[in-house]
Amino acid sequence: MSRKSGGMAAYVAALFGFLYLPLGVMFVFSFNDARRNVVWRGFTLKWYKALFHDAELMSAMLTSLELALAAAGIAAVLGMLASYAMVKHKAFRGRGAYDALLNVPLMMPEVALGVGILTFLVRAGYELDFMALASSHALICLPYTVAAVRARLISLQESSLEDAAMDLGATEWQAFVKVTLPLAMPAIISGALLSFTVSFQDFVTSFFVAGIGIVTMPIKIYSMMKFGVTPEINALSVCLLLATFLLIGLNAAFAVRPDEASRH
Amino acid sequence: MGKALSWLLGGRRPLASHLLLAPASLWLIFLLIIPAGGLILLSFAKNGPYGAIVWEFGLHNYARAFDPKYLPVLFRTFAFAAATTIVCLVLGYPLAYYLTFRAGRWRNALLVGLMVPFWSSCLVAYYSWMIVLGKEGLLNTALIRFGFLSEPIGFLYTPFAILLGLVYFYLPFTVLPLYASLDKVPRSVVEAAYDLGAGRWTAFWKVTFPLSLPGVVAGCVLTFIPCLGDFLTVEILGGPRYYLLGNLISNQFMMAQDWPFGSALTSLLLAGLVGGLWLYQAWEKA
Repeated sequence: MSRKSGGMAAYVAALFGFLYLPLGVMFVFSFNDARRNVVWRGFTLKWYKALFHDAELMSAMLTSLELALAAAGIAAVLGMLASYAMVKHKAFRGRGAYDALLNVPLMMPEVALGVGILTFLVRAGYELDFMALASSHALICLPYTVAAVRARLISLQESSLEDAAMDLGATEWQAFVKVTLPLAMPAIISGALLSFTVSFQDFVTSFFVAGIGIVTMPIKIYSMMKFGVTPEINALSVCLLLATFLLIGLNAAFAVRPDEASRH
Repeated sequence: MGKALSWLLGGRRPLASHLLLAPASLWLIFLLIIPAGGLILLSFAKNGPYGAIVWEFGLHNYARAFDPKYLPVLFRTFAFAAATTIVCLVLGYPLAYYLTFRAGRWRNALLVGLMVPFWSSCLVAYYSWMIVLGKEGLLNTALIRFGFLSEPIGFLYTPFAILLGLVYFYLPFTVLPLYASLDKVPRSVVEAAYDLGAGRWTAFWKVTFPLSLPGVVAGCVLTFIPCLGDFLTVEILGGPRYYLLGNLISNQFMMAQDWPFGSALTSLLLAGLVGGLWLYQAWEKA
């Protein structure tokens, strides 16, 4: 038994090695004192220093942060309202259609989404601006926030805390503000963090929908790659990776455990 | 004010539900339905000089997509998606099995660990693979150092690099549905098979594997369909010689300025997606 699962553990370790090899490579070579990437020439922090002195890069970073904040904010509001109606309201006509439609952005190939939005906006004479891109990102993020908030609202439903509040004389609005919203907040935050991650690292949609003036971080990295290999990208990637770890950790802290809400 | 909001939240009228769903619907209509409808409409139009659009309807863009110049792209896209799905399934099944039955208290950590490369930027991971696979990259250096090679091989910009990139990115898409369905296999049924004298392999092939089939199919669908529309992998690891459908579409919109043809290609991609999902649902019902 143990010998057999030992072989399997080795296989799983090898597979994880494959998944983490690129991340490890970028980490090691971000400290390498050589322009050519493959030979180790000693430890340096100069690529990290170069990052913070690169004005274009810093402005791309800022753009991406603003974009991710806007997209996560929009998606959180849309997702909260939509999932509230889907979970709390009594069955209404068209609910199944909404249900199916809210998941479409997840299955839609990003290339199709990107060229579709590009074509529509250009044909409609709308300039490709920051709002257009943020709205497109919000659309991609919407299924994530809906899934997170919905799961939470369903488990709240089972705890019937809202019903208790209303039995005690609260109006629906008061019950929402005092009970539902605070209890749903961890799920809203968790959905928003996922959205933030999705938007921050999105390349394909931005590639098509960002106008000429908007340079996000992934677009900047892409253009740096086109100019050739530079260790600065490794340093940048490590920073982005650490940010991702942080976001995933935060998300794990906020994520709703299915049994949690019904325990009240 | 409070009364109106209570009416909205109470949802005793369908109108209240539709109003709460209105903002999300607005996004879905203007950024998903109309753009997709627009592309389908545009796919029947004609391309004029300088990227102008001539509204003469016909099937010429679709005919062009299947002419010998572009047919290999469609074929290649299909082949790469199929190959990726098979490799992911073969590599991913033992992993999902291990996560379900053997990982014990490491299970959650491993599940999160599986998702981290997926959540970190794909662009950045592919950049790293460029460093590993390049002519002067790690793989070549290592192979020469240990005497397996005398000359560096160009791993980059080959079908091998593309397949590797696709498998790298889509592996979690296969593993998670597999894990979800293996997790539903009742342990008691497997133990019953052991008690009845089945060996390890017999129990697996006669009990566990058939019960995990829904996950196998779901994993394949969730890998194959996104693969059809993949764009970034070939853009970075493959190069123009191995353009897939996604790259061809991008080229029509960003370089060639032939939007009607690009729309026809996108419509084909969407048709493949809808067809695939339809087949999947038909299988699920059967």
